[in-house]
Amino acid sequence: MGASAPKDLVPVTVIAGYLGAGKTTLINELLSHDHGRRLAVLVNDFGAVNIDAALIAGHDGQTISLKNGCVCCSIADELGDALDRVLALDPAADQIVIEASGVADPANVAAYGQGWPGCRLDAVVVLADAETVQARSRDQFVGELVVRQLRRADIVMATKCDLVTEAGLAAVMDWLTETAAGAPILTRRAGQLEPELLLETAQPTARPGRQRSHAGNGPGEPAFDSAVVEVDGTLDRDRVEAALQDWPDSVLRVKGILRFNGAAGGLHIVQRVGRRWSIEPAPNGFTPDHTGKLVVIGLPGTLYHRDLTASLNRQAQ
Amino acid sequence: MADMTVFVARTVRTMEPSLPVAEAVAVRDGRIVEVGTLDTMRPWLESHSHEIDDTFKDHCIMPGFIDPHLHPSMAAILLPMHFTTAVGWDLPWEDIGPVHDDEQFLARMESLDAALAPGEPLFTFGHHPIWHGPIDRSALNQISTARPIVAWHRGYHSITVNDACLRWMDLDTAAAGRHPQVDLDAGKFFETGLSVALRHLRGYLLETERFRAGLDRMRQVIHNGGHTTIGDAALGFYGFEQEWDHLQAVMEQPDTPFRIQLMPFAMGPEGDERTDDEFVERVLSYPSRNTHRLRFSDHAKMFADGGFFAELLMLKPPGHLDGRHGEWMTPPERFEAVARALWNAQRRIHVHCSGDLGVELALSTLEKLQWERPRFDHRFTFEHFGISSAQQVDRMAAVGAVASVNAYYVYELAEAFAARAVGYERASQISRLGSLERAGVRFAVHSDFPMAPAKPLNNAWVAANRLTESGAVMGATERASLDAAIKAITTNAAYVLGLEDEIGSLRWGKRADFTVLEADPYAVSAESLRDIPIWGTVFEGHKFPISSD
Repeated sequence: MGASAPKDLVPVTVIAGYLGAGKTTLINELLSHDHGRRLAVLVNDFGAVNIDAALIAGHDGQTISLKNGCVCCSIADELGDALDRVLALDPAADQIVIEASGVADPANVAAYGQGWPGCRLDAVVVLADAETVQARSRDQFVGELVVRQLRRADIVMATKCDLVTEAGLAAVMDWLTETAAGAPILTRRAGQLEPELLLETAQPTARPGRQRSHAGNGPGEPAFDSAVVEVDGTLDRDRVEAALQDWPDSVLRVKGILRFNGAAGGLHIVQRVGRRWSIEPAPNGFTPDHTGKLVVIGLPGTLYHRDLTASLNRQAQ
Repeated sequence: MADMTVFVARTVRTMEPSLPVAEAVAVRDGRIVEVGTLDTMRPWLESHSHEIDDTFKDHCIMPGFIDPHLHPSMAAILLPMHFTTAVGWDLPWEDIGPVHDDEQFLARMESLDAALAPGEPLFTFGHHPIWHGPIDRSALNQISTARPIVAWHRGYHSITVNDACLRWMDLDTAAAGRHPQVDLDAGKFFETGLSVALRHLRGYLLETERFRAGLDRMRQVIHNGGHTTIGDAALGFYGFEQEWDHLQAVMEQPDTPFRIQLMPFAMGPEGDERTDDEFVERVLSYPSRNTHRLRFSDHAKMFADGGFFAELLMLKPPGHLDGRHGEWMTPPERFEAVARALWNAQRRIHVHCSGDLGVELALSTLEKLQWERPRFDHRFTFEHFGISSAQQVDRMAAVGAVASVNAYYVYELAEAFAARAVGYERASQISRLGSLERAGVRFAVHSDFPMAPAKPLNNAWVAANRLTESGAVMGATERASLDAAIKAITTNAAYVLGLEDEIGSLRWGKRADFTVLEADPYAVSAESLRDIPIWGTVFEGHKFPISSD
């Protein structure tokens, strides 16, 4: 088996968080939503599996129940096994969603996305039950773990937000912001789902230069905004790296193809999901429909198109 | 042929309080008819034909030793490997001296390489940077560029391989290069990165012929330690049915001089099971497949926190010296739910717990279950019991818990844990036994082989002396008395396995299982317990000397 081109790698999204955070509900909704992606779902948790089998059948997905392991029995690597089975599916899955065990360190699961043959990591999304997460964070058995899980997140999603008062939600958002320093914090209410934020869906289309709000399927304010940032010519890689690093926490997803100048120039695939970003050389012979565009998704009312463009273009020629 | 065989010995240590010392044991059909002297057993001798066997006239007969917690399947993977550990291992086929430093390590690797057939992969177990310094791909390439070499770390966390092994594994190097826990330049795969290498090595390690050869070595190890009963403390690490088939093929043989009590891995629903009821039903069904030597009963194995050697133990404050974190093997809520399902099905629950927070989870769960649905004689067993407090021991006594302790931690790890993991106070009290004895909590000691040598006398020696490899005493007041240390490998080990009516001591009706020693352990000093030579064993009335080749 040789090196595969990056575009062949299947993106892996890790859905983590302690028991009761709403991982299974979220995955069920992702499976039933018409987002056009073929999902393969790996459930890595203990006890009863509540994924709706009918939903999975409809998506040609696969659910595999995994138990936590320890180092000395790592020879039985059920997660790796399950990934191999999913990667062998024909037709292939567009995306793999791994439900991490409630006691997993998300970094350990993310490592599979990063380095398992055929996979690349899309994002680690850590769910937090808005009602209980603060109390859990003080639990003698799992408090430290709950906090550590949040600190490993690329994106944090506060769930069950409709079950707390407005003041309560404000307090928990403050706490999450402080605890998961640097990760954007999404809120989720019953029936509300934006697959664009959790998956690498077909990116929302928007006219360049315009910021556009996208309604969620729940009530209330817009779920997220998107913008297309256009650049001309080739870019200084250092500048792009700095921008990816410095853009505010409210930027949820960035994806596009840019051409860099200099010795290590050429076409590159640029991505950011929450606080995780990457720049990979485009595969040989890759002919994109368009270059010089970045699609940016962010929390409502936070994308300042001019600033985003300026931070990239200052040295573009 | 005579009805009965009467074994006479210089001393028979029965471990029965009512008749602690005897001179003869009469045996019929694999069971003890009577224990006493040739004089006191005259009514039996006069009414049944018998022969006197005086093979042990200069020996001490003990109840057959019991280690209630080993892992034959893990041993089957490890024992075909070549050991390079800093602490020597006396294995039946090879007495491996300690490999103390980097020079000795490389010399050992070279001699192993020279002894193997061309092309055969070399798997070693036991590298540890504290003793052997760092090794990497280029160091292993110096040993061989043609033969695949895998050097497994003593703590099981990582492997280092050479170029030939990378070629053999046919690795996706681009993927491995992206993995945060693979260092291709160094040839090192660690933590989750280990899975990337094991994806290619697993087939070789689990291949039937190799696995069964490993199990056969395990059979020798068990016999040489003087055991006549062991507990397999979690069948199903690598695949329950496959392991069961291998165990049957290798262990259920007429010349296997021991029985295995099997505890199923009981973490909750698996496969197609959707509810705890379905899971419990499976656990209840296991005894229906019992054979003569391989037996399930009412025991089930659960896991609280991560392993002690793996340093994944969960600790109460102040935690680890370096602020690191352990790992739960089961979410605490699920742990409680699964324990409740097993408790209400009258299972005897054994919980792997390494750190004091792991102990706390098991203990608070047991307290809750006792409140909800009280049980007498439930045998809820704390396994390993690495770090605990005396107050936890008192609570264990209050709710009727028992313990199966890895005393060997003291010998190999206490000093290292003091220096690097948890500081001196807690490290010196690892595997506390004195507190258990004072509180009246029954305890066995175990090896957790392949974590520690499968030698009950050695485990009892550590329990009674708390000496480390360097000769220091750690936590003198947590020593077990000599009597408690010997009970921990006989009567109380049987109790932990729920087999006290069948084995563990010598009296009428019990299995004729003996461990035959060259000296009476009650007549030597506690310091020399581990040096008592073992003649061999008697299993169900048949003699099995330990061969000296």
